[in-house]
Amino acid sequence: MGMSLSGRAIVPVTITVTGFVVICCLLLYQAIKQDMTQDTVRHETALAQTVVRSTRYAMLKADRETVQNIVTTVGSQQDVEQVRIFNKRGVIMFSSHSGELNRQVDRNSEGCIACHAGATPVATMGSMQQARRYRNERGETVLAITAPIYNEPDCFNATCHVHPATQKVLGTLDIGLSQKSLQATLATLRSRMALFSVMILLLTVAGVSAILRRSLFLPVQRLESFALQLAAGHRDIPQPDLNGELETIGRTLQELADSSGKDAGKNSRT
Amino acid sequence: MKMPIGKSITEPLHDAPLPETQEGNEQARRAATGRVREFQRRSLRGVWYLTLFLGISLVAQQLGSHLPDFPPSVRQLLGAPPSAKMISGLLIVYSFSALILILGRMTTGTGAFSGLSHVGYLLVFYAFYHVAHALDDNFYAVLAAGITILSLESYHIWTWHQERIRQEKQYIVRLDRMREWKRG
Repeated sequence: MGMSLSGRAIVPVTITVTGFVVICCLLLYQAIKQDMTQDTVRHETALAQTVVRSTRYAMLKADRETVQNIVTTVGSQQDVEQVRIFNKRGVIMFSSHSGELNRQVDRNSEGCIACHAGATPVATMGSMQQARRYRNERGETVLAITAPIYNEPDCFNATCHVHPATQKVLGTLDIGLSQKSLQATLATLRSRMALFSVMILLLTVAGVSAILRRSLFLPVQRLESFALQLAAGHRDIPQPDLNGELETIGRTLQELADSSGKDAGKNSRT
Repeated sequence: MKMPIGKSITEPLHDAPLPETQEGNEQARRAATGRVREFQRRSLRGVWYLTLFLGISLVAQQLGSHLPDFPPSVRQLLGAPPSAKMISGLLIVYSFSALILILGRMTTGTGAFSGLSHVGYLLVFYAFYHVAHALDDNFYAVLAAGITILSLESYHIWTWHQERIRQEKQYIVRLDRMREWKRG
């Protein structure tokens, strides 16, 4: 069950190069995906802070209409899936979807459990820990951030408000962005990497095959044909165009054939 | 007359001296036939280890996210897991070194086989990614690394044993010719 010389040369090169390129592409893809997701979370956190700061003055003035207007305007932007502001008890006070106003969310639901897992809710959290991913009714992935709205001196010192200074968090802002464009970018990246891997594979196999064919397989074929003709008794054929070690083998074969021809002649005369 | 399996192919068997007696010839023939069977059996070791790895990978993929995490006390004892990027960097270095070592063995014609060690190393990568909560994202990278390394190892070990089998068969042919010649 022998394999041809070309097969023996090309198979290990193909396995090694293709395999290594695929490993690197997969890991590179994951690294890029992770970086892009972190960038999106940072962008979303900044957007959440912008919304919190934009609504701050209206909250201090207890201007509910302006707060709702800001939330609706931000929520109507392209790729913004939802904007909600919860009070301390988890009731939706403002939302870009009017149907969910005054609804209370379960503390054990995703997005709440991260802070409410223990007996005392966590007041601070890293941006990646605040993020959660889910699928909306259209099947698109949504990356949501739950940002706390902290109690600050101008909140608890305001005459109109009742928050004590000891209360750290007044409520939370929940904002979700559709990941449709990110998923499309990642899909393009995947297809480009697959194309790149196929091109590397083709170039490697074609390159190795071309070099080996030119410098090894064709001379070996010529030498094989020469040896077969000598074995068949054709002594007057010219030595093929060979170089290096193959030329030496060809010359030696020619000499062997000549000497065996001479011996055969002597034996027939005696 | 048991030939060591890991012997280099730079010492071809067709140079081995032929036994002078009929009995010695029979013994050498039986030993060579036994070695051919042994080489045929061993030539498939790479495929078995590749199958083992694929089986383990299938289990890791099915159960990966359902496997229980370490209890907090064990996690505290072990410390923070390495980041997924660090594990990925190590996976690239490991894959590159393993491929270079196998290609080196192919170049020198050494029949050493380290399939089981590679299955072990790859399992450690699965475990590290699991502890770092990054197995789902990086599963296919470890799978690709395992398939590449174990395929190359299987190919190397298969061609190495096929070469030995060819040499043993040539030796058997020489023994048969010698026996015929002695018979007259």
